[in-house]
Amino acid sequence: MSIINVSNISKRLGNTRAVDDLSFEVRPGEIFGLLGPNGAGKTTTIRMILDIFKPDSGEISVLDGPMTEEKKNHIGYLPEERGLYQDIPLDRCLTFLATLKGMDETIASAELQEYMKRFDLYEYREKKVKELSKGMQQKAQLIATLIHDPELVIIDEPFTSLDPVNTEMVKDLLEMKRNEGKAIIMSTHQMNQVEELCDRILLIDHGQRVLYGTLPEIQSHFSSRDIMVTPLSTLPDSIEGVSEIRKLNGRYRLVLEEHAEPNKILRNLINQGIELTKFEIAVPPLNEIFIKVVREQKGDDHV
Amino acid sequence: MIMSKLWHIIKHEYTRHVFRKRFLFSLLSPPLAVIAMVGVALLVGTFSTDTTPVGYVDHSDVLDNPVRQDVSNGVFDPMIEFQPYQEEDQAQAALESSQIQAYYVLPEDYPQTLNVELVYQEEPGTSIQSQFSDFIRQNLMAFENLDPAVKERLSEGSLVTMAALDGSREMREDQWYLIFTPLIAGIMFILVVMTSGGYLMQAVVEEKENRTMEIVITSVTPNQLMTGKIIGNIAVGLTQLVIWLVFGWIGLTVGGQFWPVLQDFSLPTNFIVVLLLILLPSFVMIAALMAAIGSTMTEMREAQQISGMFSLPITIPFYLSSTIMMNPNGLLAMVLSYFPLTSPVTILMRMAFTVVPAWQIALNIAILVIFALFAIWFAGRAFRMGMLQYGKKLSIKEIFRKSVQ
Repeated sequence: MSIINVSNISKRLGNTRAVDDLSFEVRPGEIFGLLGPNGAGKTTTIRMILDIFKPDSGEISVLDGPMTEEKKNHIGYLPEERGLYQDIPLDRCLTFLATLKGMDETIASAELQEYMKRFDLYEYREKKVKELSKGMQQKAQLIATLIHDPELVIIDEPFTSLDPVNTEMVKDLLEMKRNEGKAIIMSTHQMNQVEELCDRILLIDHGQRVLYGTLPEIQSHFSSRDIMVTPLSTLPDSIEGVSEIRKLNGRYRLVLEEHAEPNKILRNLINQGIELTKFEIAVPPLNEIFIKVVREQKGDDHV
Repeated sequence: MIMSKLWHIIKHEYTRHVFRKRFLFSLLSPPLAVIAMVGVALLVGTFSTDTTPVGYVDHSDVLDNPVRQDVSNGVFDPMIEFQPYQEEDQAQAALESSQIQAYYVLPEDYPQTLNVELVYQEEPGTSIQSQFSDFIRQNLMAFENLDPAVKERLSEGSLVTMAALDGSREMREDQWYLIFTPLIAGIMFILVVMTSGGYLMQAVVEEKENRTMEIVITSVTPNQLMTGKIIGNIAVGLTQLVIWLVFGWIGLTVGGQFWPVLQDFSLPTNFIVVLLLILLPSFVMIAALMAAIGSTMTEMREAQQISGMFSLPITIPFYLSSTIMMNPNGLLAMVLSYFPLTSPVTILMRMAFTVVPAWQIALNIAILVIFALFAIWFAGRAFRMGMLQYGKKLSIKEIFRKSVQ
């Protein structure tokens, strides 16, 4: 069963093809990374999922079927462009937004107390929203997204303006929601967060699917035949099966010959009596993959 | 569920405006301005009223045994003492020595001619003159040598009643307020519509500006949102109106202590019903149009400029009031009363100055209701489209074109 099933949707906005024949699914109990460069069509895709506007063609199924008013109560959305009512007290603002999600007012305000304590906002509850700092407003908005315990959470850049402590807290919260079986779509440019949190990712560019799969799948697809080693002493000048040894800041990058096997090289090094503190297959960071893929796309455009 | 969401929107919209200082200002400033103006007028009046006695010389015997009722009209119109003198010389001397401020002379043939002479250095105020004529009238009633016909007319008093030819409307002299009420209702209508319509427009623009819209719209339908907003803001306007009416009622009650003429104030029920039937759809129509403007604009300043263009047609009938007053059934008045934006104020003005046939009022109300419904639909469309075009203005043509799709 999937929480979201998107099949072959397309959408033109003006003269540009914002989303172009895009398909993917989001499953319960996963954090799904929706990635892409600026203007790739991420927000347009999210807005179509939320039925803010309809795709020109293709089908979207949310929580088992087309979007209904009732389903809106089971979705939490943190839009890219942040906004709360500025001129009213924080607790009134958040209670109002919670009641719009179908929550009973008393339950909402009880729940809100808990959330505000957890987010260190409790003592600011009677302050007007506009008097709060950017980070506090961001936390308040996350509360508005999660307070009604939605089955599907869609968050756009959840970590901007958060300090490291709050970032950890939000990450824990998202992981908790995942473990409860909720589906979370996270759109962000912070690749380290994606690496830490996301189970699967979809990378789109020009409205099209470029990468789609689990994080290890994608990384292994892009991994070169390199090994990273950190020895206690120095490495010999040449190692069997290694075509090039590059010294990098106390570590070495070993570029393997075509048929060399990492295991054999490890055994070889140990047999030579070289003590290693670290030996790993070089996994390309998502950041590099992102840049590489997007550049390739650009190259394609020029051809 | 849907009703409860609507209720929450109405409540939110209502409280966020009513519990703000800004609202308090717009609520209190008109009544305070009226109180201040009346207060100043009263002070000036009180200090300028000369309470020095007035003398009289009676050669006609009408005032031989003078009777005088207490005709005190409150503190601002105190009863003046009338001092009898035997001869003009004595009265003149008293006037010159400022014991009295003026004196009346009733000649011998007064019961026939009803002519009196008033001698003064500075003309006494109208209230003193009317007190004296009341005084004479009361005593004439008791005077034996008076023509019975004159006596009868005197006892009836002078209450002029005007009636329309078809008898559908009567206007009595002491019901002056029936003329003013539609005009005052028109002014209050404009004030209320402009403030609460302005709030509504602002609320929509703000939601677009601060991007709350996207959260709200993924929680409720655009129509729910618009309906809730319009109802909430009409409630704000009605609150304003009710509070003003309470002020007005207090004013009439308190004022009635000083000016008994205010105590006669009462409005016929059917008149109030017609007033409401005209004003409610007008209110909805203008509120919805304001919301539509808010949805298509991206900046408050812009929206205010456009809404300024709107308020012009609403107030135009006031600028043209002399023409409408002179010819309340003329072409201009008719045209203005059928054009939705000018209609509410025009029809009120016509009601003040002429007898508007019932079918015309009904037609007016029908036009207003139809336009109100249209305006809500239009606001919903404009909103749905304006929503999707952050940072871009939306033309009216676009809204219609896309609405057809």
